[in-house]
Amino acid sequence: MKILIIEDEKELAYAMGAYLADENYLCELAFTLEDARQKLACHTYDCVLLDLMLPDGSGLDLLATMNHQQRLEGVIILSAKNSVEDKVKGLQLGADDYLPKPFHQSELLARIYSVIRRKNFNNLNNVQFEEIEINLLSKNVKVKDQEINLTRKEFDLLVFFISNKNKVISKSALAEYLSGDIADMFDNHDFVYAHIKNLKKKLLEVGGNNYLKTLYGVGYKWEK
Amino acid sequence: MTKLLDKPLKAFTIYAFAILSLSIPAYYWVVETVWQKELDEHNLIIKERIVSQLQNLSLTQAQFDSVTHIWNVLQSGTRILPERQHFKKSDSTYLVMRKNKHKKHTEVDRFRGLASHIHFKGKRYSLWIETNVEEADEIVYIISVVSLFFFVLLALGFIFLNRTIAQKAWRPFEKTLGQLKSFDLSATETIDFEKTEIQEFEDLHNTLQKMLYAAISAYKQQKTFIENASHELQTPLAILRSKVDLFYQLPELNEAQLQVLEGIEKPLARVSRINKNLLLLAKIENHQFENVEILDIGGMINDILELLQDYAESKNLAIQVRLEARPDIKGNKFLIETLLYNLLTNAIRYTSEDGEIVIFLDSQQLSVQNTGITSLNPAHIFRRFSVSSSEQVSSGLGLAIAKEICHRYNWKMEYAFDTNKHQFKVCF
Repeated sequence: MKILIIEDEKELAYAMGAYLADENYLCELAFTLEDARQKLACHTYDCVLLDLMLPDGSGLDLLATMNHQQRLEGVIILSAKNSVEDKVKGLQLGADDYLPKPFHQSELLARIYSVIRRKNFNNLNNVQFEEIEINLLSKNVKVKDQEINLTRKEFDLLVFFISNKNKVISKSALAEYLSGDIADMFDNHDFVYAHIKNLKKKLLEVGGNNYLKTLYGVGYKWEK
Repeated sequence: MTKLLDKPLKAFTIYAFAILSLSIPAYYWVVETVWQKELDEHNLIIKERIVSQLQNLSLTQAQFDSVTHIWNVLQSGTRILPERQHFKKSDSTYLVMRKNKHKKHTEVDRFRGLASHIHFKGKRYSLWIETNVEEADEIVYIISVVSLFFFVLLALGFIFLNRTIAQKAWRPFEKTLGQLKSFDLSATETIDFEKTEIQEFEDLHNTLQKMLYAAISAYKQQKTFIENASHELQTPLAILRSKVDLFYQLPELNEAQLQVLEGIEKPLARVSRINKNLLLLAKIENHQFENVEILDIGGMINDILELLQDYAESKNLAIQVRLEARPDIKGNKFLIETLLYNLLTNAIRYTSEDGEIVIFLDSQQLSVQNTGITSLNPAHIFRRFSVSSSEQVSSGLGLAIAKEICHRYNWKMEYAFDTNKHQFKVCF
């Protein structure tokens, strides 16, 4: 899958590129609006990560052009401004998601994952990971053709892990994913552990394998 | 507290009272002196008339004796008596108090007398002429009454004039005071003072104007600075966070390394939060978030509680929601959401385990109560960074933001502590 990262902060762009690169993603970087225009003219991507404040203009202009050309790329806006107006305007101009900076890379990966799934109509909404089959739309999960009942948070966790497979995810990144902004406001993220425990239990009960590795209580890793 | 204008009034009144009191003996003295002088003159005139008339009449000794006898009986004010030889006196005046013999009640009258003498056919007769004078106490009494009357008149006049002057001359001052009272620095608008004819007020207005300009520009600078600073911090923070995420991915990290990473991540989250909140505060103060819609606060509370459920459960808190009414409140969705978030997270964060939280909403107010031990200082809690919390995550801005949002919509935000319960109340 091809991703175009349009971000003028090079360090941030490299970090995103590095994080995404180990997965099936092929990343290209553009540091200016002009750069991005040229790249978009020659190639198509699965997803575009768009910073709004670029040295030679606003990312919203590019978004308008892309919208006008009816391009199929999924677009995720990354903005330091965190302004409601920008968000509304961006989504109106056809962006698929809006992620305020600073964000966790795992969060970004999960967003990209779901944007791409949503955009690729032919790919359906089914995700398969070994014996686990997930329908993103109906939120059904089957393990070895046996349906299991997950709470909303357990389901979100499962999708998050699968979209971040082979990555180490810190507990606070998980907490933030589950409860949004509020997570920053609390010290104690122990509840994450409770949800994970339940999810694991439900998967194991129906004969699934344990793919989740706990790293000294600090982080988690979902791997084959 | 006394009003400024009442101060001179009081002094004036006391001064007037003192002067008028002093004037009573002075008037008495003047009246007494003038009166006695006049009466002495009057008595002398009578004497001269008697002397000259006696000469014109050319009476015999016998006639004279009988006339003076009758005279002395009928006209007790003037008596002519034969003078004893050994008792020769020169003329003199005197004051005497006499009982009125002709009246039943014992009234005492005062008389001014002239003791003199006349000659008739070579013989000396003493002549007493007495004229009734007002008694001293009566004079004092009358003067006092008159003085008091004028004092009352004076005092009333003072009060009346004072009022009129206060209303007229001090009107610009009152107006200025009113404008200053309603001045709101965060509105960053200076006050237009009315032009006045009075030099002092004009000076005051000019000075105030200068001060306000200075305050407003300092305030604006501070706001811009905070906004710019937090804006500038946003990108490096994003880079830092992404690098930490990358670091986690390095192969074969051991436990110690992961602990260090976690130790970096936590304060990083806190800095991000503080920065985000500072930016938010600056935006609210800059009157962004203009678009307003009608919001179902009750529904929003339930949504937020659902999100917060995990945190409440991990502390085993009993949350009671009492929605007496579900008022439709007009406001910006994001701001109201933030207000509710901040109040609720605050309650959850600061309630100790197994505590209780009561959320009450009706058409006038929203209150969030939570168990606590000691009262917080109501003067400080809404200030930025005032809560010196040992917690690692608090941004110290949550309540300041909540207050600012309430301020934006002219709602009143109150804190109270009662029987082991903190209460935060928003009055719509």
